[in-house]
Formats: sequence, C-alpha cells, structure tokens
Amino acid sequence: MVLFLLFRIWPAINGFLLSFQDYKLSGDSTFVGLQHFRDLFDDKIFWGALKVTALYAAISVPLTTIAAVSLALLINRAIRGINIYRAIYFLPYVTSLVMISVIWSWVYRADGGLLNSILEGLGLDSVRWLQDKDLVIPSLAVMSAWKGVGYSMMILLAGLKAIPETLTEASRVDGAGSWQTFWRITLPLLKPVLFFVVVIETIGSFQVFDTMYVMTNGGPVRASYSLVYMLYDESFKFQNFGYAASIGVVLFFITFMVMMLQRLMFGKNDS
Amino acid sequence: MSTANPAREAVATVPVRETGYIDSTSRVSRPMKTILWHILLAAIAIVMAFPFVAMLLMAFRPESVVALSDILFSDQFTLDNFRMNLRNDSMVRWIFNSFVYSLVSVVLVLLLASMAGYAFAKKEFFARDKIFWLFVAMLVVPSQVTLVPLFILLVQLDGANTYWGLIVPTLANAQGVFLMRQYIRGIPDDLIEAAKLDGASEFRIFWQIILPLTIPVQATLGIFVFLWHWNDFLWPLIVAQSNEMRTLTVGLATLQSLVPSTNSMMAAAAISFAPSLLIFIFAQRFIVQSIATAGIKG
Repeated sequence: MVLFLLFRIWPAINGFLLSFQDYKLSGDSTFVGLQHFRDLFDDKIFWGALKVTALYAAISVPLTTIAAVSLALLINRAIRGINIYRAIYFLPYVTSLVMISVIWSWVYRADGGLLNSILEGLGLDSVRWLQDKDLVIPSLAVMSAWKGVGYSMMILLAGLKAIPETLTEASRVDGAGSWQTFWRITLPLLKPVLFFVVVIETIGSFQVFDTMYVMTNGGPVRASYSLVYMLYDESFKFQNFGYAASIGVVLFFITFMVMMLQRLMFGKNDS
Repeated sequence: MSTANPAREAVATVPVRETGYIDSTSRVSRPMKTILWHILLAAIAIVMAFPFVAMLLMAFRPESVVALSDILFSDQFTLDNFRMNLRNDSMVRWIFNSFVYSLVSVVLVLLLASMAGYAFAKKEFFARDKIFWLFVAMLVVPSQVTLVPLFILLVQLDGANTYWGLIVPTLANAQGVFLMRQYIRGIPDDLIEAAKLDGASEFRIFWQIILPLTIPVQATLGIFVFLWHWNDFLWPLIVAQSNEMRTLTVGLATLQSLVPSTNSMMAAAAISFAPSLLIFIFAQRFIVQSIATAGIKG
C-alpha cells in the first residue's frame, strides 16, 4: 500500500504540482503558476512536437486498425495450421521496441537497406525513408503498425468469436453477400471492441518515444520529435523539470479526453 | 464452428435456389478455396516474419556479407558476431542487468499483487473499495506523465543508478493488483473460514490456500511482467546513469548510436530477442488467452 502511495499516486499528484513550479534537483522550487503553460503555448518546439505526435497517431492508428480487422477476419476460420499463422502475426508484439528499431533501421536504411535493395532490384530509385522529413513519420508509423497489429487482431478476434454465428448465417440466408454481411452485421456488432482497440492504439501512439530515440534522434530537423521526446529532453537533458511536467499534464489531458470519448460512446464496457 | 452447430443444420434445410447461399461457396471448390486461403495467409506471414528471419540470417553471416541477395543465399556461416558481442564485458553486464530487472520484478510483483489483491478481495478495512478504485484509476495516467516526479523522488531517496531504484518503483503494478483481486474474489469464503476454524494463521491462509489457488493467474501475470520489464526502455534509460547499470534495451540503443557493423548489431538484437521468443513459444497459449479475455496491455 505504502509502495503504491509512494510510487504511483504521489508522483501522479506531484506531476500536476510540479507543472506549476520551477524545480531544481537541489530541491529548490519556486511557484510560477501557469507560467509553464503560457511558455508552452508560445513554444514553437512544443507545437512542432504536438503536430508530429498527432500526425503519427493519425497515420498509425487507422493503418493498424484496418490491418488488424482484415487479419482478424482472415484468421477467423477453421483451417488447419491457423494457429501457426496467428502466432506469426502476433510475434512482433512480444519484442522490444528497441530491438525492432535495430532491425527496421536496416529495413529503411538509405544505402543497402532492405527496401532500397528491393527498389534497386526493380530498377527504381532508392528512397530516403528516415532522412526525408515528409517520409520519416509515415515510415515509423508503418513499422509501428507491423509491431502492433497482432495485439489488436487478437482482441478483435475475440470480439468476432463472440458474435453468434446464427446472425451471420441468417443474413446469408436472406441473400446478403459476404461483403454486405460484413458491413451490415459483423461491423456494427464489433463496434464496441473496435472502439476499444482504437482507443488503446491512440493512447499508445501519443506516447511514442523509443523508436524515434533509437532510429532518428527526433530528426531530421525535429521531423520525428514527439511530445514524450520533448518531455525527456526538457527534464533529463535540460533539467527543466517543471516545464517537462507541464508537457506531461498536456499528455495526460489528451489521454483523458480519448478515454472519456470512449466512455461517452459506450458506457462501461472496457475491461 | 463445428458441424454440430444447430444453426448450420437449420440453414441446410432452407431451399437452396432462393437464397444464393450455395452460390457463394460453390463458385470455387472447397479444397481449392482452402489452398487459396493458405497462400494468402502464408504471404502475410512471410511479410510479418521477414524482419526476424533477416535479423537471424545477418547475425550468422560474416561482416563482409552485406548485399541483400548474399544475406539470403550466401553459404557463409559464422558465430563471430555472437562471439564478439558476448566477449564485450558491457554486453554481458547489460544482459545480467536485464535479467535482474525482469526476474526480481516478476517475483516481487507477483507477491505484492497477490497480497494486495487478497486484501482488496477478502478483507474488510476502511474505504477498501474507494482505495481500490483509486489504484485502478492510476491505470489511466500514462507512465510518461509520472516519469518526471518519479525521477525526482528517486533522486531524493538516493535511488538513481541503483538496482533498487530501477526495480522498486515499478512494483506498484496496478494492473497486477486488479487481476489478482478479480481472481481471488472468485475463491469461496468458506475455504478461508474453514482454515480459520482450524486455527490457521493469516499468513498460512495466504501462503497455503490463496497462493496455490491463484497459480494460473500468477503464471499469466508473471509472463507479462517479465515481458514488460525485459522490453522496457524509458525507465531504465533514465535510472541507469552509468554504463554498468544499463539494461540490454538501453545498451542496444547505445550500441546502435556507435554505428557498428550491421551484422554484429543484428547478433546483439538476436540475443535480446531470445528470451522473448522462448517465452512466446512456451507460453503463447497463456498470452493469447489473457489478451482475448482481459485485454491486458503491454
């Protein structure tokens, strides 16, 4: 209990308190009110990081979700060996982002990387996946979809299995094609689960940091500099702990709003 | 899914001509269709697994082998990349640290979470449910938000760059407590009452009745806690301020920034992959089930 109080609840409260202070590691702190938030509002780097993070979420969430729904539908059938496919699709999920970053640094490498080797083999020009400021976020988002799709697929699969077969059969009996059955029957019934998956993915993608730290250092020119990256730099590089805490508060409110949206739409059906 | 499904049989009795039901399946014959599914599923599986396969291939190729076609089809094979990595004292130390961080955390989280879960499920105390929901509400706060205050607290307690500083703050695992509480609530009160009548101490009830009964959840939670810690990056990155205190993930990131040969980097990645892969192979059933039922988040 004490442990919880000390390491979970107190830091959470202190996170908010700190955002109103100027804090030095020596223990000195001055109350500065809303100054940090005012500074954030004027900070071009902050808006840049917010934009980068939002863009990342805007690409990776739909991509992961669509891929996960497709895979869940594909895999929801009784074929021999289906468990092996399921396991392979799920495998990236149990690995660390750092390790994934090491592999994908090679996949995306401009010179002799996997993708460019294939492009060159086809006689096409190579692409600077991580060095181009317009391509770096989509590239990272694709990689995150590859890593996260297995988890979302599992949850959606459980959702699909919960849909009574009588309903889909009945719709077929009524003459609906499988496409129509999917849009009219399966998808509406899957909606709560789907929304849960989207919320989890959104929250997760707003916390993106590891891959950017390892693969791009936030570059080129802060084109992959996320909110958490800024929080990390402000606190552990520049020792602006109060300012960093105010970024944390912004992050919390984003997370909170996404969750509230889910509550509003579906009541208490998350697990 | 089986043919014993009454719905299926009911469908079969519906006149076929008007439904169009048969049309959609008979256009392609059944075995043919199964083969098509297999081709599609296998193609996706190849894309999903290729980065791992490439990592392993490169890890076992000499450093001179860099072109994609050579990586795939060369007959050269070497253990040098692994040997070089494991001869690096830092690397050995990082692996050791990662195991300490993960294994110690697993044992302590399981113990603490089941004790707290037991208290929340079966004990009466002041504002019990309110405190419990406060714990659960903490799941809403992203760990990055508490990162800065947690670090400051750790510095004040002189815990930066120590093992306990690395491990102790991660032990307050709200998800674990939640899981254990839900599970222990399902254990009948009679069992505990009977033990009390027989004169068993509080500790013995916990140790000899509650713990053995919760082994399935313990296993699941243990697997997840191990993976969470083994793969964790941001927290160890902050706590470890010297090279000797880095975990393997932080060490890998450091190595990567030194731009070593790709092949040796892949061997290092493969080393960090091994424990996750082993756990995945042996515990896949547990992981899959708990995600499907509880939506445990990694």
